[in-house]
Amino acid sequence: MAAPLLEPARPATLRLAFAPDLASARAVSIAIRTFLAEQGVAEKELFSYELCISEASNNAVEYAEGYAKSLKPVAEALFTPSQIELRVTDHTAGFDLPEKITAPSPLTDRGRGLFLIQSVMDEVRYLRGTKENILVMRKKRRAAPTLAASGLDPFNLPSIEKYQQHLSESSAQMSRMAEELKLRSETLSSVFRCCAELGRIDKVSESFEKRLLVDLLHLTSADWYVLRMLSTDGRRLLVAAASEPDLAKETIELPAVDGKPACIEASVAASVTARRFDNRESSDPSEPLRTVGPEGAGLVCPLSFGGTLVGTIAVGRRNGDFPLGRLQDEVIRTFAEFLAIQTLNIRHQKDEVRNLVIARELEIAQTIQHLLLPRTLPQLSGFSVAGGWQSAREVGGDFYDAIALDDQSLLLMIADVMGKGVPAALFATTMRGLLLGLAARSSDPSQLLSSLNRLLYKELSSVSMFITAQIVHVDLKTRKLTAASAGHCPLHFVQPGRRSISTMQIKGLPLGVMPDTEYPHMTALMGSPAALLLYTDGLVDRRNPAGKIYGQTRLKTWLRLNATPGRGATEVRDLLATELNRFRGDADMSDDQAFLILVEEGTGSARVAPAGKRRIPLRRGSFLFPSTAGAPATS
Amino acid sequence: MKIENQGECLSISEIHELTAQNSAIFRDEVQAALSGSPAVIEINLSKTRFMDSSGLGALFALYRATAKRHGVILRLLNPMPEIQQLLELTQMQQLFEIVRR
Repeated sequence: MAAPLLEPARPATLRLAFAPDLASARAVSIAIRTFLAEQGVAEKELFSYELCISEASNNAVEYAEGYAKSLKPVAEALFTPSQIELRVTDHTAGFDLPEKITAPSPLTDRGRGLFLIQSVMDEVRYLRGTKENILVMRKKRRAAPTLAASGLDPFNLPSIEKYQQHLSESSAQMSRMAEELKLRSETLSSVFRCCAELGRIDKVSESFEKRLLVDLLHLTSADWYVLRMLSTDGRRLLVAAASEPDLAKETIELPAVDGKPACIEASVAASVTARRFDNRESSDPSEPLRTVGPEGAGLVCPLSFGGTLVGTIAVGRRNGDFPLGRLQDEVIRTFAEFLAIQTLNIRHQKDEVRNLVIARELEIAQTIQHLLLPRTLPQLSGFSVAGGWQSAREVGGDFYDAIALDDQSLLLMIADVMGKGVPAALFATTMRGLLLGLAARSSDPSQLLSSLNRLLYKELSSVSMFITAQIVHVDLKTRKLTAASAGHCPLHFVQPGRRSISTMQIKGLPLGVMPDTEYPHMTALMGSPAALLLYTDGLVDRRNPAGKIYGQTRLKTWLRLNATPGRGATEVRDLLATELNRFRGDADMSDDQAFLILVEEGTGSARVAPAGKRRIPLRRGSFLFPSTAGAPATS
Repeated sequence: MKIENQGECLSISEIHELTAQNSAIFRDEVQAALSGSPAVIEINLSKTRFMDSSGLGALFALYRATAKRHGVILRLLNPMPEIQQLLELTQMQQLFEIVRR
């Protein structure tokens, strides 16, 4: 049976800094040859690799000038079974590497080194930076297993089946190698291409980590990385990806505006400025980056674009003798900026989707709101009814209704669902529907509230919502009011023989608080001409720009002065809406508000308005009035 | 490195490597030995395990100083296959007699 194929997850790497002299360059070439020999590279190949490192290292020494003569070049070898990569970092002024160097004449003494490198290796690149350049030389290797290595005995030739098995194994291995080659993005451009692909991915995923960040490590010859993203509240840096589990442990708390950052990554996030670090220069035991080792060093970059911080990335090496060079710094900075742009792009797309969803929700909410308020209110003989409604939001939980029971009596109802937005409106719609059904069987406000509570209790309590409501039965013939209240604010009316406005405050728990609740009722007689006002607390709690609330006293006074004989409900309602808006001025609306007015106008034939077809225009912050069918008669 | 003057033949051997590090020494020492005006220079490469472009440069300098100007025969003895390939790659095998014995 064939041995399982084990592949290294990362290249075996040797990295050597050397003194800028030819003897050290020579020693480095020998060390790299030895390293590659230890990896099992055949003797005949070793000569080529030694030659390339030698040529590059010699150039790094010979062409260094001035201050650069004191800087150490670095030679590296990265080995995988399918590829050998050699790199030499120099501090020379650099040169332009031609695409293809032609063979120099044997009669000249120049240009042989680079020619030899290009002849021997498959790919040669020269990455030029500021005072630092990297010559990258790659050679692809094809596994050429010998008979002995393949486990075949030359003296005992195998069967055709064995050959076929061997062939299929080789073919599988080749396709794995091809796959690996395909996946390994080894140039900056392919990293960015990768990035663009990943731009479509919502979050930092496993494939992100595996492909992009490992590529970044390869590109910069770094050993480790930690990618942190800013939490949605902007207070913490959360680990999104790290090269090893130890680095992924800590979440970093960001200080308040004037606070001192607790660690390097926090300070980079606060200043939005990249920062190099070296653990040998700091002894702070609480520093999260100490996890990379006492000699670890590297660069921490903010992920930011256009002034928006999205996270940080830290990349570095475990051994401070080989700090990241400027070229690597540039690669990491560019990468960080690109990542920030990608992340912001994704967020922008998400925001657009969210806005669409919100717009759709509002559309739905407005449709609900149309259903919530009655399109028409009943107008009975000598009496008119009008209601006003204003919401602090696009959709509110305050509503009212008036139901004509016959030509001499009607039910007035007003309610306030505790909670805002669509859920509140949905409860309001449900309650209104229930009330219409219940009113066909009973006109007793106490009974109606008890029934509504019983029917709504389960749903309301399951979402911790409740409704305050008030139902008033008005008998126009006897002028008798019968009212019950479920935790609602008082109602105001004119009593017989009195000029002042009376208040009826009735006890009762809101709907949805207790499963079985009795609602006591109160009765009173209306004076003449009658005026009755039901409202929600948003109306009396309304504040003016100075912060003063409108209040019951002010409301009652206004009612006494304005619900005067000769005015219909619509007119009184319009005046009240104007009064309330005048009082509020520029102040924001803090709560929804609704009110329902019944006034006695004079004599006339009782009639119930048919359901109107007019749609109610919805405008935020202004009162909505359902149409009152038929012009009320004046007395 | 060993340099022997055997009458008309200057024999150079025991070269373990010819690189940027030692090519200048190689040049100087061989130059010094040229005072006897040899007709043939034999460089025994059988022990030369490694050579880089500076080593090739040193050989080229020798060619220029002797064969090109004075018709001296330059002979490379028993180079390892890798060194032979290197000479072929750079077309320098044209400048030398490469001999196996």
